[in-house]
Amino acid sequence: MPDLEPRKVALVANCLLNQNAKVCQGAHYPGVVTPVVEALRSRGYLLQQLPCPELAFAGVRRWWAVYEQYDTPAYRDHCRRLALAVAPLIEGYLRRGDEVVLIGLDGSPSSGVRFTSSRPDWGGRPNRPVDDWQVVRGRGIWIEELEAELARRGLPTLPATGWALDMGRLDEADARRELEEFLDSRPSADDSRGDEPAAS
Amino acid sequence: MSSDARGWRIALIPDTVLNPPQQALGTLPDVLRVLEANGYGVLHLPPPGAHRLLLAVIADQVAEYAHHGYAVVAIGVRAAPDNGLHWRRLAPLLRRRGVAPPPRHLIDPNGDIAVESRRLSSFLAGYDLPQEERRRWRV
Repeated sequence: MPDLEPRKVALVANCLLNQNAKVCQGAHYPGVVTPVVEALRSRGYLLQQLPCPELAFAGVRRWWAVYEQYDTPAYRDHCRRLALAVAPLIEGYLRRGDEVVLIGLDGSPSSGVRFTSSRPDWGGRPNRPVDDWQVVRGRGIWIEELEAELARRGLPTLPATGWALDMGRLDEADARRELEEFLDSRPSADDSRGDEPAAS
Repeated sequence: MSSDARGWRIALIPDTVLNPPQQALGTLPDVLRVLEANGYGVLHLPPPGAHRLLLAVIADQVAEYAHHGYAVVAIGVRAAPDNGLHWRRLAPLLRRRGVAPPPRHLIDPNGDIAVESRRLSSFLAGYDLPQEERRRWRV
């Protein structure tokens, strides 16, 4: 029998389930970012992995880059293609009545939600000896294009946050606390808190 | 500072494995946990349906990994449509990108969970690219 109970669905940035998508030196876990998955699963969220926009554009051996370097018509076209690929699934969840949240990657030029990376003078020979890029408020380019595609379909803006993996340093405990606060502030959080595992 | 923790191994998994429906709970091993324990990353395949563009996008990603020293496998479920892997569509998409379809491991939903979990774990632990390929890429 079809189960039409509203569900909770988390759209997660690709690398939260697959750290192999990160730029070289950017992976903090072998594969799955366990604390993110635990926080979501323990609250009853289904997971929907988003494609990694940088991987299929600049490749697994790409250099580090900032927002301004990816802000090109070709990269935005690529992101729009990815958005067209996943938007039907997201639209399906929303039309079905599911609660959908977006968990991006703060500090990322592509998948940032609260923060992205900026350095207008980056470019040319990749010889920056220090991490002199800045974390600035704002979306990454992929998230901008994904949200634009959802808006074109007349869908509401999704509640969203980011896991602070690309902020120059990762404090896992802090990142986890922030994610849990975000999830527990959702209106549906009370429904599932303290549920028996088999309750429906 | 320059360390990187990536595991260089990735598993394509069906939606029904990442998000088991209520009625399947208790019939499948916790695949995500087994993948984590073995250091694999996940590429999530969509639920049954056309998903033509999304499968092409996933094939692009698999090709990028396969061409640069990453080991990719697929974990299917016996009895699920096309094993949950969209294989009839995905395999040709991969071939067109110059990639041999990755080795597949099928979970038996009617099997004993502990046994299936061990079988999966030993498949994952035992798979990687040849030494020569690993040396070439993984510096």
